Amino acid sequence: MKVPIGWLADFIDLPTRDPYELERILVSLGHEVEGIEEFGPSFEGVVVGRVEEARPHPDADRIRFCRVDDGTATRDVVCGAWNFEAGAVIAYARAGSRLGTDTDQPLEVGSRKIRGIVSHGMIASARELGLGDDHDGIMVLNDLGAATDDDLGRPLEEVIGLGDVVLDVSITTNRGDCMGIRGLARELAAYWQIPLRDISPSFPTGPENSAFEVSIRDVEACPRFVAHQVDGVRIGPSPLWMQLRLLAIGQRPISNVVDVSNYVMWELGHPIHTFDADTISGRQVIIRRAEEGEKLETLDGVVRPLAAGDIVVTDPSGPIALAGVMGGASTEVCETTTSVLVEAANWHPPSILATSWRLGLRSEASARFERGVDPNLSALATARTVELVALTSGGMPRSRAVDCYPIPRRPWTVDLKARDVSRLLGPNPPFGEALSLLERLGFGLDRDGRSAHVDVPTHRADVTRPADLVEEVARLHGYDRFPDLVRHGTRGGLTPEQLAVRRLREALVGAGLTEAQTLSFIGQDDLDALGLPPQDPRRVTIRVKNPLREEEAILRTTLLPGLMGAMSRNVARGLKSVRLFETGRVFTAGDDPEDPRIPFQPFHLAMVLSGPGVDVFAATGLVDLLARVAGRRLEIRQDSVAGLHPGRGAVVTCGAADIGTVGELHPAAVRKFGLEGRVAVAEMGLGPLVSAGPSWVLEDVSAYPPMVFDLAFVLADTVPAARLLEVVQESAGAHLESVELFDEFRGGSIPAAHRSLAVRLTLRAMDHTISDEEAAPIGRGIAAAVADRLGGVLRGSI
Amino acid sequence: MDLERLAGVIRDARARIEAASDLDELSDAESETLGRRSEIAVARSGIGRLAPDRRRDVGRAINEAVGTLTAAVEDRRSALQAEAENVLLEQDRIDLTLPYGRPARGTHHLLTRTMEDVCDVFRAIGYEVAEGPELELAWYNFDALNTPPTHPSRFESDTMYVEPFDDRERSGPDELLLRTQTSPMQARFMEKNPPPVYVVVPGRVFRTDTWDATHSPVFHQIEGLAVDSDITFGDLKGTLAYFAREFFGVSARTRFVPHFFPFTEPSAEMLVWFNDEWLEMLGCGMVDPNVFEAVGYDPAEVTGFAFGMGVERLAMVRHGITDIRHFYDSDLRVLGQFR
Repeated sequence: MKVPIGWLADFIDLPTRDPYELERILVSLGHEVEGIEEFGPSFEGVVVGRVEEARPHPDADRIRFCRVDDGTATRDVVCGAWNFEAGAVIAYARAGSRLGTDTDQPLEVGSRKIRGIVSHGMIASARELGLGDDHDGIMVLNDLGAATDDDLGRPLEEVIGLGDVVLDVSITTNRGDCMGIRGLARELAAYWQIPLRDISPSFPTGPENSAFEVSIRDVEACPRFVAHQVDGVRIGPSPLWMQLRLLAIGQRPISNVVDVSNYVMWELGHPIHTFDADTISGRQVIIRRAEEGEKLETLDGVVRPLAAGDIVVTDPSGPIALAGVMGGASTEVCETTTSVLVEAANWHPPSILATSWRLGLRSEASARFERGVDPNLSALATARTVELVALTSGGMPRSRAVDCYPIPRRPWTVDLKARDVSRLLGPNPPFGEALSLLERLGFGLDRDGRSAHVDVPTHRADVTRPADLVEEVARLHGYDRFPDLVRHGTRGGLTPEQLAVRRLREALVGAGLTEAQTLSFIGQDDLDALGLPPQDPRRVTIRVKNPLREEEAILRTTLLPGLMGAMSRNVARGLKSVRLFETGRVFTAGDDPEDPRIPFQPFHLAMVLSGPGVDVFAATGLVDLLARVAGRRLEIRQDSVAGLHPGRGAVVTCGAADIGTVGELHPAAVRKFGLEGRVAVAEMGLGPLVSAGPSWVLEDVSAYPPMVFDLAFVLADTVPAARLLEVVQESAGAHLESVELFDEFRGGSIPAAHRSLAVRLTLRAMDHTISDEEAAPIGRGIAAAVADRLGGVLRGSI
Repeated sequence: MDLERLAGVIRDARARIEAASDLDELSDAESETLGRRSEIAVARSGIGRLAPDRRRDVGRAINEAVGTLTAAVEDRRSALQAEAENVLLEQDRIDLTLPYGRPARGTHHLLTRTMEDVCDVFRAIGYEVAEGPELELAWYNFDALNTPPTHPSRFESDTMYVEPFDDRERSGPDELLLRTQTSPMQARFMEKNPPPVYVVVPGRVFRTDTWDATHSPVFHQIEGLAVDSDITFGDLKGTLAYFAREFFGVSARTRFVPHFFPFTEPSAEMLVWFNDEWLEMLGCGMVDPNVFEAVGYDPAEVTGFAFGMGVERLAMVRHGITDIRHFYDSDLRVLGQFR
């Protein structure tokens, strides 16, 4: 909310006008200041002048020749406006003055010849002076109540009182009472312990009573409705001082009645609505909830269908205003209006919120009603509006307002104990001081030793419990004044699972992979691109009801689409080698085993690799790395896996469980993601990798030298290398330290569809050196087992 | 051989040894000067024939001469070996500025790192780390956190909901949504654990925000919660000021100002003085009694503080990043700069 400092000064004697000091204080009270701006003249050298003479230009129809007294001399000025006559007090921009000094290209006013007459300077319009949009004519200062003949020659900004600093204050949603200048002034008055200078509107009244009959059908919807009629109104511009204040807060001046409504809303924080009283049928106002199917043309000219919960002001003909949100077109105050019905009503905040959001009609009024307005403010707001309407339009208010307030809101009591304060705030401030802080904020007190009954003023609907009062105490005491104590907890370790996740990430980074974070959303196209068959579990998805884009409408069931998108963007940018991984949650439609009310959302780990030399082994090698870091035995079971190359894909198993897949992405999928070449991928559940197993125990190592020997077998291609290693391990006996496959060979003497696989065995005993004699039977035993179980033939002899 | 003659032999032999220019020449010199046929060897074998009174002096002199010359040979040999090796090493010289085999090294994502950093700062003073679900019940995201049923943050313009996917009716507090904050884990954690509670919760959160330099529909937060029998507002201030010093540097100054959140009372915002300006860094406050009631804690027995901070914001401030999209685009030229 824009807060001109000069306006605050209407209500309090400001000890300082330094905007930065005011900012510091407001912020310390919980009112964030988002900006500080100067609202000053955007011109230099403009003075008050008087038109001495105005007659038609001898050589042109549309312009006039004027003589202007600027306090020092009388100048010839040519002017295109016709909204003034001789005697008008005007804003005179002398030759040499500058307009638009707040813009990049100020205009220098000079003397120039117009149709044969030299015009020295110009008579300015509001728009030329940056004082509004009005450019239909020049500013007639005496009509606007802004200057008189006595002001001739004085700088314009001085005469009209232009020049203020405006604070842009952000009011939190719980503080509707601070959505007006008066409310913020009340906060500052409490801070400085100075009195608030409140307004007390007064106006002459005519003899007639208001003849309007108001009835409220739904008291929850409308706790209070105050209306006051003003007759004999002449619609015209509002006085310049009011226009300037509205300009300072960023509101466009429109006409006296509309400007007064905005002015009072800003001043008191209470929105005001005005009707053209003569357009209301039957002089009867009924407040009720709208019925389904009803419509209202709002004053922006849009015919809006109403919903059942909307609150409407109606007359016997139907809705005439959408309460708290926008007025109706049929009852709008316009140029011909002579009788105005001023309304200050109180509306149910959640209903206003729902209506304004549903229709996308968020306004200054709805922002206040959403936060809540004190119904006890409505009479004052009405009176203030009537006072200013009468003042600015020459209207005559009727003798009294119609005030419909079935259940008046009264202050409520909250019991506050000393302990309520100290257990949240500590020993300071002591209870007595805390209570005096509340008193400064306008709370009523009835102290009873270590407790007090606190009466809450009705504008503080946010305060209903001791904790709310404690916040008020802390706020006014000053958050800065509380001590800084570091609070230590009781357990700072990571769980074994958390530690394992960190180590897995560290290992992948150490192996050259870069961690990515991709969105949790994918599209149907992504699942299609992966070539997943209809029955694939990754196709059982949860859709977002209100997605930002269709491509991001599904909660991811796999991390691969996000990573593949990242890969293709990087390749498109010219990177040759891309190696990415991600850990993150995927979303399933099954129940979470720990909380069946929500779907299971396990963490996955996935990686994608492409570039020179990358094939499936880049991925299987990393799976092996993860297994070693996690201390898990992971097996690779070659299989046909959806989305993967039919001959280069496998399931990753851990014990009896399948935990993921590894392989090369199917070339069709690679192309779908706009890529070419081999892309190695792996994705697995993180849970099984990191679930806490028994802690490992160190195995002793032998002091004796190893015995190393090689064996080569001819095997059918259908025998996986892993099977050979398994059989070797099972048949090598207790002294086998390690076995590795070091050669694969085809051709030569090897039969077709067969290959030679060579393994290197390392044997070592804990208590002696293994001799050739001891090793030979072990080798023969292995050869026999390979022959027996795999049909392998030993090459050479032992 | 008289002693004078011996001195001459030694002089000649030493010169011969030192003149050897390679190891072969040195071997020749050694056998000529110290070998069986050398003058000294011959003289030594003749010692027995000398008169007994000279035998001792001459014998000692010859032995000394043998020792001296043997040492000279060894010295010369070491020198020649070193020279030879130096020649070989010089031939082995290479240009060290040629490209080397670059050890593989990727990078952690800055958001992961930042979350770990924050968690570690709190772990150091005894806070555990917990994570909660991303697809969450409205109850935990809103109701348990004292958010009114009509609050605009629940609207679809702020919060993403999901379409029905099984035959269960989910509405009101049971409605499923993508959590808009890590705060729901406050309620989940307290439901499962009796006080005292000291926990931080890093995680991913979601809002219906369209992309721009400072908004992303997916982002991360870290929530913190401390509940005990005697926690006061000073504990909140000091603990978070400690965090700011650890995270932004020991000179980081903090300021706390009142704010409003539905789930804390009193509520505050912490500002940090960084790069010459006060920056809003996190929201915090004393846990609202309604939250304690929602999770079955007795608000008369415990007090606590809670805080929540945006991970992207922390990382952007600390590392001078001005566009949030850098975190999610996965551009390796950007990710590679993270450390």
